[in-house]
Amino acid sequence: MRALDYAIREGWASLWRSRGSGAFAVLAIALAMIVLGALLLTTWNVERLLAQWSSAAEFSVYLQDDASSEQRGAIEALIDRSGVIAGRQYVSKADAFGRFRREFADLASLTEDFEDNPFPASVEVRVRPEAQEDGRADALVRRVASLPGVADVRYDREWLARLASGLSAVRGAGFGLAVVMALAAAVTVASVVRLGLNARRDELEIMQLVGSPIAFIRGPFVAEGVLQGGFGALVALGLLWLGLMAAGGWWGNELSLFLEGGSLQFLPARLCASLVAGGMAVGGLGGFAASRYAV
Amino acid sequence: MIETHHLSKLYSRGLYALRDLTITIGKGEFVFLTGPSGAGKSTFLRLLLLQERPSEGEVFVNGHDLSTLSRREIQEYRRSVGFVFQDFKLIPTRNVFENISFVPEVLGLPQAQRRRKAFQVLKWVGLQHRMNAYPRDLSGGEQQRIAIARAVASDPTLLLADEPTGNLDPDLSLEVMNLLREINAGGTTVLVATHDRELIRLVGRRTITLDQGKVVEVA
Repeated sequence: MRALDYAIREGWASLWRSRGSGAFAVLAIALAMIVLGALLLTTWNVERLLAQWSSAAEFSVYLQDDASSEQRGAIEALIDRSGVIAGRQYVSKADAFGRFRREFADLASLTEDFEDNPFPASVEVRVRPEAQEDGRADALVRRVASLPGVADVRYDREWLARLASGLSAVRGAGFGLAVVMALAAAVTVASVVRLGLNARRDELEIMQLVGSPIAFIRGPFVAEGVLQGGFGALVALGLLWLGLMAAGGWWGNELSLFLEGGSLQFLPARLCASLVAGGMAVGGLGGFAASRYAV
Repeated sequence: MIETHHLSKLYSRGLYALRDLTITIGKGEFVFLTGPSGAGKSTFLRLLLLQERPSEGEVFVNGHDLSTLSRREIQEYRRSVGFVFQDFKLIPTRNVFENISFVPEVLGLPQAQRRRKAFQVLKWVGLQHRMNAYPRDLSGGEQQRIAIARAVASDPTLLLADEPTGNLDPDLSLEVMNLLREINAGGTTVLVATHDRELIRLVGRRTITLDQGKVVEVA
């Protein structure tokens, strides 16, 4: 405990003494943590939205223009009997046309030249979450698609799956980049700590000669790296928060439209804490590597 | 206290710093180690501080064979040895009080105890009024007295001093020697390496003379 107390005090004092070069190490860690933090911010928000969209997933059954009322009735009966739906709504051709003009007001003028209504009638079906998980919704979609009078069936789940797959790829690439940057940051920390170490050669020699335990000799350098890492991660979190606020200010309306009324959120406390802990671990690793030269 | 048997230290290119040295220094003795530059005085002290390992022979301190000590045992051993160097080796970024109190601190003493100890040794060397000064603000004599205070802060059983008066004028040298004599009077074995014959004459203690790594005289 005394060694830990000593390490933190001396690490802090050393960081303050070499604050010029220490700022480089903090910056290097902050850059690595910004990459990792931006990745976490993106994936966390996308995952949150995916979960939200998945829980409200629906499929649309587009009817042929010449579909008879019997065919439509057979389609709706099959959907109702399936036991996998949370609700359904028939959207007529006129309703679809009106919805387009409302939701895409900028493009509404284009529709004035239409001779006929080009929008098909459809049945919009909201699917129960458990039916998505166990595959019953997929089976229903396949059966409905084969019924007479059906022009096409669009199921949200397909693009959600594609989005989830793309997210995994982004996460993998981003994580790889963050690891490389974290290693580079650890090397920077090690170099900065080693500079301070060389300036304290006399002190280290005396510590060895008086029989200091290794923890007292190496501890302050590890602590210095941990502190640099912690500060770097805090700087990164601050910049990410500012970036998110700025993005919200500049593109708030567009984002809200794209996210269907939702908004981007900052990382939850547990991820912020993980990021700070990660920064401290990277810094500590650099400090530990440098401290090998102390004895 | 200190026994060496056929102790040799061979550096590269076949140069012996010490050759076949057999010496005995009793517990509580005050001994001078003298000889010309390059005689092997500092090498002998470095071997006793385990900064170097002997090439041949054995060194026993308090009955422990120094060549067989593990890393942890070396730490333990060094806690019982105080040292004073010609260039003082004070830490420039710490004030006088911190220079002294950090020794008991790294040895794990509680804060109140190490503060008491630091103040006690500072008072003993007569520099308690300079406790907040930094080494750069002190004279050579003051710096060496601080170095001596630091050396005794861990209550060593053996004190090694390598040319402790090399950077001091005769009056200050005698003052430093008086401090070392006081430490010795408390029961600590003191071994002083110096080439200052006049100082040895004034203090008048057993003297081992080395030349080219060999003992040439014990008086």
